[in-house]
Formats: sequence, C-alpha cells, structure tokens
Amino acid sequence: MVDRAPLARSPIDPAPPVAVVDGWEVSDRQSSAALRIVDCTPLAKVLVRADGDGEAARTLDVGFGNARRDAAGTLVVGDGPDEWILLAPPGSAPTLAQRLDNLASGEFVSVLDVTHVRALIRLTGEDAAHLLAKVCAIDLDEQVTPNGAAFRSSVAEVVTDVVRDDQASARSYLLHCERSFGQYLFDALLDAGNEFGMDIDGFRPPGI
Amino acid sequence: MTTMLRAAGSAARLGPQPGEVIDRAHRFTFRWNGAETAAYAGDTIISALAAAGERVFSRSFKYHRPRGLLTASFIDPGCLVQVGKEPNVRGAHRRVEAGMAVRAQNVWPSLRYDVMALNQAMTRMLPPGFYYKTFMAPRALWPAYQMVLRRFAPGGVVTNTRTDAYFDKRYAHPDVLIAGGGPAGMAAAVAAADEGAKVLLVEEEYELGGHLRWGTEADLATLRELRDAVAANERVEIMTNSTVAARYDGNWVAVAQRNLRHVDERLIKARAKVLVVAPGLIERPYVFAGNDKPGVMLSTAVRRLINLYAVKPGDRAVVFTANEAGDAAIADLERAGVQIARVVDARRGGNLVRARGRGGVQEVHLADGARVEADLLVTAVGWTAPTTLLTMAGGHPVYNHRAARFFPSEPPEDVLATGGIVGDGTLDQLLAHARAVGAEAARRASIRARNLRAGNPTAPSVDQRSPDSSSSSIPDLPIDDSPALFRSATHGIVDYSEDVSSKDIFSAVREGYDSIELAKRYTTATMGPAQGKLEMVNAIAVHAEAAGRSIAETGSTTWRPPYAPVTLGALAGRAFEPVSVSPMQPWHERHDARALIAGHWIRPDHYGDAAAEVRNVRRNVGIIDVTPLGKFDLRGPDVPRLLNHLYVNKWSKLAIGSVRYGVMCAPDGVVLDDGVTGRLGEDRYVMTTTSSGPETVWRWIEEALQTEHPEWRVHVIPVTAAYASMNVAGPNSRELMCRVVADVDLDPEAFPYMRVRNGRIAGVDGCFMWRIGFTGELSYELHVPAAYGLHVWETLLDVGRDLHIGPFGIEAQRIMRLEKGHFIVGQDTDALTGAFAAGLAPLVKLDKEDFIGKPELIWQEGHEDILHLVALQPVDSSVVPPEGSQIIEGRRRIVGRITSSRMSPTLGRSICLGFVAPHLKEPGAIVTVRLPDGGHVPATVMEHHAHFDPEGVRLRG
Amino acid sequence: MILIPCIHCGPRNASEFAYLGELGRQPDPNTTTPPEWRRYLYTKANTAGWTVERWVHRAGCGRFFTVERNTLDNKIRTARPPDAQIRLIQQAGRADPKADA
Repeated sequence: MVDRAPLARSPIDPAPPVAVVDGWEVSDRQSSAALRIVDCTPLAKVLVRADGDGEAARTLDVGFGNARRDAAGTLVVGDGPDEWILLAPPGSAPTLAQRLDNLASGEFVSVLDVTHVRALIRLTGEDAAHLLAKVCAIDLDEQVTPNGAAFRSSVAEVVTDVVRDDQASARSYLLHCERSFGQYLFDALLDAGNEFGMDIDGFRPPGI
Repeated sequence: MTTMLRAAGSAARLGPQPGEVIDRAHRFTFRWNGAETAAYAGDTIISALAAAGERVFSRSFKYHRPRGLLTASFIDPGCLVQVGKEPNVRGAHRRVEAGMAVRAQNVWPSLRYDVMALNQAMTRMLPPGFYYKTFMAPRALWPAYQMVLRRFAPGGVVTNTRTDAYFDKRYAHPDVLIAGGGPAGMAAAVAAADEGAKVLLVEEEYELGGHLRWGTEADLATLRELRDAVAANERVEIMTNSTVAARYDGNWVAVAQRNLRHVDERLIKARAKVLVVAPGLIERPYVFAGNDKPGVMLSTAVRRLINLYAVKPGDRAVVFTANEAGDAAIADLERAGVQIARVVDARRGGNLVRARGRGGVQEVHLADGARVEADLLVTAVGWTAPTTLLTMAGGHPVYNHRAARFFPSEPPEDVLATGGIVGDGTLDQLLAHARAVGAEAARRASIRARNLRAGNPTAPSVDQRSPDSSSSSIPDLPIDDSPALFRSATHGIVDYSEDVSSKDIFSAVREGYDSIELAKRYTTATMGPAQGKLEMVNAIAVHAEAAGRSIAETGSTTWRPPYAPVTLGALAGRAFEPVSVSPMQPWHERHDARALIAGHWIRPDHYGDAAAEVRNVRRNVGIIDVTPLGKFDLRGPDVPRLLNHLYVNKWSKLAIGSVRYGVMCAPDGVVLDDGVTGRLGEDRYVMTTTSSGPETVWRWIEEALQTEHPEWRVHVIPVTAAYASMNVAGPNSRELMCRVVADVDLDPEAFPYMRVRNGRIAGVDGCFMWRIGFTGELSYELHVPAAYGLHVWETLLDVGRDLHIGPFGIEAQRIMRLEKGHFIVGQDTDALTGAFAAGLAPLVKLDKEDFIGKPELIWQEGHEDILHLVALQPVDSSVVPPEGSQIIEGRRRIVGRITSSRMSPTLGRSICLGFVAPHLKEPGAIVTVRLPDGGHVPATVMEHHAHFDPEGVRLRG
Repeated sequence: MILIPCIHCGPRNASEFAYLGELGRQPDPNTTTPPEWRRYLYTKANTAGWTVERWVHRAGCGRFFTVERNTLDNKIRTARPPDAQIRLIQQAGRADPKADA
C-alpha cells in the first residue's frame, strides 16, 4: 500500500527558492519591491451558501460587496448575494468548516472547503490599483471600492473575485479565480506590473 | 565622397522666437531618405526638414503629385512618412529623434523621380469610380487586378517582423474627460477640478495651449497662467500627444495615448461621467487649381512654422486672407523676413484663380488678372468645427451660413462642448464660457457618480442630501460673420489624402450621386487619414454647388469613430487569452505530450503514439488526465427534482453510492450535454458534464433555480478545477487501485460498475472515485483534490510500473470510445440532433412530470423521417473516410454523413459513426460514402453502436 | 459599450453579461401545441423601442434578471429580478429590495 505524505502544489509555479509550508510547496523569495505579487493559494478557503436574509447571514455579519476580519482573524468576504468565502491560514479549512456547519440550525446552509477550487494572489503596493486598471474595468477609486470592498469581475478576461484588503496601510488586493486559470492570471498580472517594477514575493504564514 | 550635412541652423531656420518649442541647446541628426539631416530637440520631423530647405515630403495617393506642408499639424495630409519599420507616421506632428531613419512613402523609385506620377497625365482616365468600373470584369482577372492595385496602394510599408513594439490597454474612470487642451480645455479642466471633479485632459499635440502657442505676447502670458493652473491642480491628469478617438453609448470613450516611454500606443477605455468636447477649430483649405502644390499653406501652418519651430516658410509670399488669422499671418511673415508680394483680401473682393509651378508654387494667378511670382501662397478662408465626437454622441451639426461653418446641435446630458467649436468672441469670453462648462460638467458628474454608487454594494453609503440640481448658467458665445469661401472659379483638390478634386465631385453628381452620403462613398472624399476634418466642409460645399442646392440642404455626412486613426496594435493591445491547465500539466510537458487546445484548456492529445496507447490500455492499464470534465457539487434536499428537470431520464431513486448516466436536451429537444451524476451522500451529489459543457450547464442549472424554481432548496457550486480527475483504465486497473486506495473495498461485488466511493488515494483524503469509463475497459475515474493531483498521478505511474502502466491522451480515448460506439456531443451530434436521432429513445422518459425539452421530445417520438446515428464499417477495412464525408445515393443525393472515423488498433480495421436516412439504418445495409477526393467506398451498417465488446463484458469485469 | 445595471452588483460593462433575449412567457409545457411552443422558442418581436429582455451577470454575481431597454438609444429604465423570485419575495412578505435601477 502506497500511502505517502502528499505534497500540495499551487497551480502557480513557485519562484525559487522553494520551501514547504504546512504541506504546501511555496516560494520563499524575499522581495522589498514597492509593488509585490504573492501566490497565496495555500490559504484555507471555505465557501458558505445561505439565505442573505437568514440567521447564518446575520451571524457572518458581512454584506455582499464587503469584507472584514472576524475575531479569529479570518477574512470573511461577502463575495456574492447569498454567498461568502472565508480565508484563513493554511490547513485550517477543516476546523473552519466544522465551525461553520453549526452556523444556523434549521436553515438551508451549505459549507464547502474550496481551498482546491481557487487560485489566490495578493498584490501589495501603491501602484496595485494602477496595475489592476490595466486588466480590470472596475473603478478602484476610494469612493467606489475602498478598503474592505469585494467584487467579482473580469480580470484579464478571467472571472475573478477581488478584495481590497490593505496591509499595514499599504494598498493591497486579494484576487482569486478558478484554480486552473491561476498560472495564466499570475503571468498576466506580472506582465501588467512590469512598468511599475513589480516583483514576486514569497508566501509566509499565516499569510492572511 | 563626403556627405553634405543639411544643417538645422541654416537654410530656413530663423532666430529665436518668443513661443518656440525647439531646444537650441540640443542639436542632433537624423536621416531623411538616407541623408544626414540636422534637427533641434522639439522639432517635428517635417519642421526639421523644412528648416533644412526641404519642400516635398510625399507623393499623393492617386496621381502621385508632389506634396508639401499644408497644415503643419497632426492632420497634414502630405506629411505621412515611414519611420524605421513604422508606416504612416504623422511627420508634421511626430517629434524627430536623434538617429531616426525617416523615409518618404508612396514613392517609387524615389521622391523626386516617381514613376507613378505618370498618373498625373492620366487624370482624365482616373475619374471617380475608376477602379470600380475598370477592375470589375472578367472575374477571372481579379488576382491580376489585385497585383496592379497593390502597386497603386498608398501608405507606408507594413512589416510583420517588428518585435520591438509594445502596445497596451488601460481602463479609466474620470469624472470629467476633456477632449482638447487648448485655452478652453485647460480653463474647463481647472474649473471642473476646482469643483472636486477628477479630470482627464487629453491633448492631441505634445503641449497644452492650442492656438495661444502661436499668438501674441498677451496670448503667451495667458498660456503660461493656464498651464500653471492646470499643473498645480492634482485632480487634473494631463495626457498630451493623445487623441480622444471615439465616444460610444454610456460615455465609453476611447483614448489613444502616445506619450509613454515604454509603450508605442496605449488604448484607454474611459468611462467618463461627463465628456467635454473642446477641440477648437480646424482651418479650412481653399479649392482652386494648384491648391495642393508644395508652397500652398494655410495661415495656421505658417504661424506654427514661424512661432513654434522658427522656420521661415518661404521667401516671397502671396497671402489670400478673409479673416484675422490671415492678417496675423502677414504680420508673422513680415517679422520672419518673408517678402509679401501681394495681399489678396477676400473681404475687399479679392480672389485667387490658380497656382502654377513645377514641383511647387512659382506663380499665382489672381482674379484681377495679375500674375504674381511667389514660392509661398498662404490662404486664410475660414474654419471647420470638428464636431466628430459630438455627432458620435447623437448630435447633428447645423450649418450657419453667416459664419460659413457647421455648429453642433444640443448634445446629450453627459456631453458638453466649449471653445471655438461653439462660437467666437474674445479670449476672455472664450475662457469664461469654458469655466462655466467645466463647473457644469463637474456638477453633472457628481450627480452621475452618486447614481452609480447608489447601485454598487462596494461603495460607501451615499450621502442622502440631494446634490445641487440647479444647473449653472453657461454664457453664449458670439458668432462672427465669415465669407462663404469654398471654391474659386477653378477646380482643385478637395480631399488631399484621397486625391479627390472638385471636378470629381461634380462628375459624381452628374452620374447621379446626388446625396452627399453616396457621393462620399463613390469618390472616397473625406475617407482618408484626416477623417474629414480638413475636407468635409469643402466636399459638402462643392457637392451643393454641383447639385444646385444650399449647404444646409445638402447636410453633413455622418462622422464615425475614430476621430483620428488608431494603430491596429493599440486596438489589439495586450490580448488576453485565458488558458486553463490541469495540475498534471507540468508532467505532461516533461513527457512531450502533444498539446490539444480545447476551448480554454490545454490538454495532452497523445504522448507520441496514440495507437500504442490504445493497445496498452486494452492489454494492461493506462491513465488519462480528464481534469477538464465539468464538475458541480450539488447539495440540498431538492437535488433530485433539479436532476429530473435537467436530464431527460429519471433521477428520483438514485441510491447513495450510485452513479447514473444522463443526457440533457435544450427546449427544442436538441442534445445539449451528457455526463454522469453520482450520489455521494444523503443530500450531496456530484454532476459531471462534457469538458466543453460546464459553462452551458451552469447557466441551465442556475436558470432553472433562479427563474423557475427559486423555492427549491439546492446549492450548486462549480468545482471543475477543484479536482484533478484521472481515469485508470485497463485489465490491470483494479490491481493498481489496490496498491493506492486505503479505505475502499475494491472487490467487484463490493464496488461494482456504476458505483461511487469516497476514499483516500495515495495518502490524499477527500477523494472520490467512480467505476465508469468511456474506453470500455474496467476503469476507475479518480477525483483528487487539485493540489494533490500531480502527487497522485506520479504515484500511480510509479507503483504501476510492473503492471505496464502508461499515460494515454485524448486521441487514444477518442479511438477507444469510437470502438465502443459512444457518441460525443458536438462531434457526433450537432445543433439539429434531437435525442431520438441520437439513439437515446430508451433514456427519454416522457412520463416524467416535466423536464427541459419535453414538449419537443413528445412530438419527436415516433417520427421516423429523421437521420439515425449508426455504427459503420467500410468494406475495405484499410480506408478511413474523413469525418464529414457525405453518404450518398445515386449520383448526388445526400442520405447521411460520417461523424467520427478512425483506424481501430484493437480491431485492425477502420470504424465509423455516422448518420443515415431511415431506410438505411438496418444492420447489414450497405451505404456509399463519398470521399473528398471524389472516390466512393461502400460501408456496412452495424448492428450495435459498439464495434468492440458490445456486451460490455470487459467494462463490468 | 453600454452599462447594464446588475440588480446586485450595480452598473457594469455589458461585456460582463450574457444577453438571453427578449422576455417571453413560456406556454404550459403540458398543454402547449407545436406552433405555440415554437413561436415561444424562435419568434422574437425585435422591437425598435422599449423591450424587456433577460440578462445574466456571467462574469459577476451570476444572477439572472430582466431589464427594460430602449433598443433605439440603449437607455435602460428598469432592472428587476426574475418573476419567480419576485413572487417568492412577495409571498415571504419582504420588500422587493432593488426592483428598479
């Protein structure tokens, strides 16, 4: 019987040097560029589907179009009407999903670990909005999509969820798309970021 | 031999001018038709050449007449040049750079001795429509005509070997987008920004300022003030050397941006809340014999040359003036030391007859009979309002005969106009108008921004106070009288780019093209690179004259995008073509898989020898990457109702642990998709679709759930990419599975055909596997969390080495499914194939309450007059009729077609699936297949769709 | 490019949506006749003026909705959820949140 400990891989080729974090092969590159791109695919991602007016929705307390961190540091994203996605450190999906299973009794709620469904990329730096303006038609002005805004749109022609999630007051965006498009989206963003001197940075836990 | 350097400081270069844009401290050289030529930084290609004494820069389109400077601006029709590998560069606009290789285009073999100039002598033979009339018949000669016409085709040399170009795209969301950075555009920009608007100010030229740049000392002082005010306002983004190319519905505005160091041209897709159109006015040429000779220039052209580039436009000038611009040009010329041979004032009845001279103006004939020697003829007859962007917004220009130009009609709410396009008046009046328009634009933009935010869940909640609804008052601008001077008593060029003369327009009218829209298309006037801005009004005036109508009656032709030509590179830009790959793609690439592009997926077609892959699966065991199979996670108590609604077969009693094959039809009864759905738990199902189907099936599912049955408790989550999917197929597959699956009893009794199990594979939890298969072999389809796909794939290949495991690709799978007679939706069926025609009668359950396509299928049932899907074997087993071959009866009656065909490595013969007419569907019938080369092969209709193992013994093993 | 006012996401470029055609009323599948059914499937009014049409926000929230659009000038005056959802919302006694654009 072959039952060896598996190595999880992101759809995005890790930039060398490569390290293993929580069973995931990740890039260990260190960049101090003003604009950085990080493959955050190893993060746990859990999807919740429930009635937007129900008890589960009240407990999650995040409306469609917005994102916020809960007490445990999990990023709760209202990424669709009646749909949420929760982002947490690698490996925490099972416990997170279990906690969410008890979200609302008697209500029709679905909880699904979508860690493997999505590729997740973070862009950080003041020019991140300028870069995105080259591949995404959404207005990234503070008046329209401030910190904590979440929307789904076309990014380089791939349906992508975008969350404005500033890091230590630096402008930052999380982007996730269907996993199989991960490498394509990463490459498209790299190309668009070229003029801003964007560099690849490694993934360091907890990563969210 | 020493090359003579044509100097920037000699010939026609003047001393320093107050408004000059050249930097005399930076002097360099470039090449013009190979000759080293000097220039200053800030020179345009043409200003540097004019300074060096050049007068001719190109040859005209049809007649190859020599052409020189006319407007000294972006639209100058005679100044298109080739720069390196870049054709059709606006030489009177583009700044010259050190080392640039500039060549004249549209000349053969050289600018000076142009063979095509013979066309000049043939003018009588090249009337409008000449090409249409001459090169029509006979059709057989079209290829020859094409070669002739290519020689005549204008423009530079396009190369497909250019690799240094970089084009780009970007989105923008300005509150106010201002087209035109002259005094009005700048004043409007500052006023709008002062009201809080985010402004994008777009200017065609390299600097802001418009006509102030070649104006008086006072104009230059105002220019400095305006520039400072614009630069000091951080809400104004300035984009020079850029063109607002088009305006579409919803104020979707295309801007071609050229002022970037790293980008050749960038297309900006701006969603402007308000568009302000401030392009100024364009000086109109005058139509007379010889009006396209080098040395005939507009008053604005000589003023630009003198004031911006310190270039003396000629030595001895005749000036034909009808307005202040012409008078100002006289003053500039005198200051520049040009001898004024004669001033012909149209306001006092003066007029021109013709310009004469070889290679350029030498003599000017006047209406009073005088013949004046001159090398420069300056005209200032009036203006054209470039209403292009306004008419794209739905307006119709209105002709004002007092001003002898068109004015814009009232634009829609989200578009405003200011500057010379709206009216005349003093500079102060113009600026006051622009400031009022800017403020009003900001006010309208804030209302629009508010409405946009109100519907947007990401925007912070909107302040409930209603915004200022009173529109600010915009002062009227006076309109000056101007003589209606379009054509003198002689005929001349109307459209310089297209070489259309006033005579051509007269003859078009004579031939019956009495509508200006038709005459435009027939003569191609206004259809060249200047896009009508230079020649539109003259074309209309000449047409009106020829047809005996007024200009107002004649009307204007439609202005369409683009305002100015945009490179194809910018339109193509960075092309986004999303590509999907499976987690095993790195392995496939390492093992020389031939890539197959299927929709957005890249998949292995084969690894070198598809037939060997088939033999290995039939004999041993193979694995194929089937990750692109569409997959949906379905949850909730009402999933069976949804499945019953989507599929033509029944789903109410699917047991936990079972899978079932299903077919979906569209409302017209046509086969839409197929796949298997398995029940993994009480309320949990996984549905698979074809690899090309998930998008369509998702829409079908959501449409049912959202628009018909929102009361059903079902959640559907697309999980195609979540699982790395692989099919393990072949007699050794169970043995292989035993080596990697920990917690599932793989005994055929415990895990039979058409069952699904959750389990752990090669140490990976959260997998599921089902016993199905397209290949007809004992097989397991494994679905593994995607991040572990490569791990499981490599483990299988590793532990199965002694079982002779090998990968197989799509081609091998296609062969094996054909051996088994399974159809592929979209390959063997098309947009007309109903469920019964596809042989699915046993599956269709018309006694179900309702399902998509049911009414059509009820009517289709029992209809015999349709083509039927059958398996076929050519009698000559070595012939593989190409897919798409027709099945015929008699000489030409089509009675069917081959939809799939392959050489079967298993059977050693050719096999097919195809459609045949009802009378040919019985087993044993012999049909005739017509091959593309005209040959015919007989083929036998088979009893079963499956050519191999029709009882499915191997599959159930 | 026109903006389509998605009832959930707000105005977005039309390229994010799929156009599903004019809103037609589906005949009862159990009693319909072939001419009636095929008229429903294939015959469109193609009005020059105000039409009610169905769109789905393909690259966004994935929701179906109907808009009233003027085919002459592309103005859109209303956007609302599908009829079946409005019915459910009304049954539940809730206000129809974003009926109009």
